[in-house]
Amino acid sequence: MRRFYILSIFILIATIGYGQFIGKDGVSKALFYLQKNELDSAKKYIDEAEKDETTNTLPKTWYYRALIYKDAYKLYEKEDKNSPLRATAVVALNKLTGLDKENEFTESAQKMMTYLASTYYNDAARSLNPATYKNAIEYYNKYKELMSLAKSQSDLKQQDVKFNLALASMLNQNLEKETKKDSLKVLEVKNIYQSVLDIDSNNGSANYSIGILYYNESADIINNMDYDMDLEQLDKYQDICTDLFLKALPYMLKCHEIKYNLNETLIGLINIYHGLNDPEKEEQYKNELKALELEKK
Amino acid sequence: MNNTIDTNAKIKAVFIYNFTKYIEWPAPYKEGDFTIGVIGETSLYSELIKMTETKKVANQTLDVKKYNSLAEVSKCHILYVCKDKSDQLSEIVKKIKNNSTLIVTEENGLADKGAGINFIIKENRQKFELNKGNVEKYKLKVSSNLEALAFTVK
Repeated sequence: MRRFYILSIFILIATIGYGQFIGKDGVSKALFYLQKNELDSAKKYIDEAEKDETTNTLPKTWYYRALIYKDAYKLYEKEDKNSPLRATAVVALNKLTGLDKENEFTESAQKMMTYLASTYYNDAARSLNPATYKNAIEYYNKYKELMSLAKSQSDLKQQDVKFNLALASMLNQNLEKETKKDSLKVLEVKNIYQSVLDIDSNNGSANYSIGILYYNESADIINNMDYDMDLEQLDKYQDICTDLFLKALPYMLKCHEIKYNLNETLIGLINIYHGLNDPEKEEQYKNELKALELEKK
Repeated sequence: MNNTIDTNAKIKAVFIYNFTKYIEWPAPYKEGDFTIGVIGETSLYSELIKMTETKKVANQTLDVKKYNSLAEVSKCHILYVCKDKSDQLSEIVKKIKNNSTLIVTEENGLADKGAGINFIIKENRQKFELNKGNVEKYKLKVSSNLEALAFTVK
C-alpha cells in the first residue's frame, strides 16, 4: 500500500512537470522554455516546430523562431560577425513577413529587425579596413535589407552616402600608400565615389576625391615617364594624360561651384589647368587663391 | 594631390632629351660636358637637374646651368629661353652667334625670330615647331626624323 502511494505521488509530479505539454505543439513548448530563459531547450523545440508541417506555416512559429535565435545570438555569438544564429533569425523574420497577413507580430518583429540591422551596421563599420572591406559591404547590405523589411523611416539613401564615403575614403587612403597604383583598385574607389554622386551630385567630398584621383592618375603617368621615351610614344602618353586631366576638371569645377574646401579646390584647379597647358585659367585660379589667402589674414 | 611633380616641366624635359638624340653637334662639342643653359625663371630647371642624375648624352655628362641675365650666358649646347626672357631673344641670338647652340623657346612666334625649336600648345598638348634654318646656321645637323615629329617645320 505504501509502495503504491509513493508511486502515485511520483506519477503526479511527473504529470505536473510534463502534463502541460501533452497535446501541445513545438511552438508552445519553445515558448515555455523561452519564458524560463532556457534558450537551448527553446531552440530545440522551435526547430521541431519549424520542421512540423502543422506549425511551419503559422506566423507565430517564425516570430518565436526569430525571437529565440535573436536572443541566442545576443547570448552566444554577439562578437561573431558571421553569426549563424543571427542569420537564422533574419531568415525567420523574412518568412514571418510573408506569412503574417493579420499583422499580429508586425510591431515587435520590426523592433527585432531594427535591432538586428543595427548589429549588422556596427559590424560593417568595424570591418571597414583594407583586409575585410568586402565583408563590410556584405554586412551593410544586410543592414539595408533589414531596414527595408522593417519599413524603417530612416533615410537609407543618406546612409548609403555616409557608408560609401567612409568606404571609399578608407580605400583611397590605403591606395595613397602604394607607389605603383593598381588601376583596378583606382577604378573601384572611383566607382564607389560615383555611387555617392548618383545619390547626391553636390557631394563635395566625392567630387573632390574623384577629381584628385583622375589628376593623380595623370600626374603619376608623367612622373614615371623615362626621359628616354621617344617622341611618338610621348604624344600617345600626352593624349592619355590630357584625357585624364579633362576628366578631373568637371569634378573640381563642381567643388568650386559649391565652394567645397575652397583652398584645396583652387590648388586642384590650378594644377589641372597647368596640366592642360592653359596658362590663362591657371592664372585666374592662382589669383583667386591669393585673394582667398589675403582674406584669411 | 600629387604635388611632387610639375607635369609640364617633365614633358618638356623628355622633349629636350629627345632633341639631343635627333640633332648632331659639331665635333668640338662632342667632348666634355653636354651643357643645357636655362635663362629666366622656370620649373623646368629643377626637372633638368633631376635628369642629369640619370642621363647622359652619348658619353657626355649632362650639366645644367642657370643664367639670370644675358650677361651670364656662356657656351652651351642647348639654351632654353624662358617666357620671361623672350623679349631678349634677338640679343641672345647676337650673343651666341659664333657658338653651336640650339635655341629653344616657349612663346608663340619665336621660331620666326631666331629660335631653332619653339614649344607651342595645341589642343592642351605640348608640341614643337622646328625652324631648320635657325638650327643649321649654328652648324647643327637636324635628323629628318625630328622634322617628321615637329608640328610645323620652317
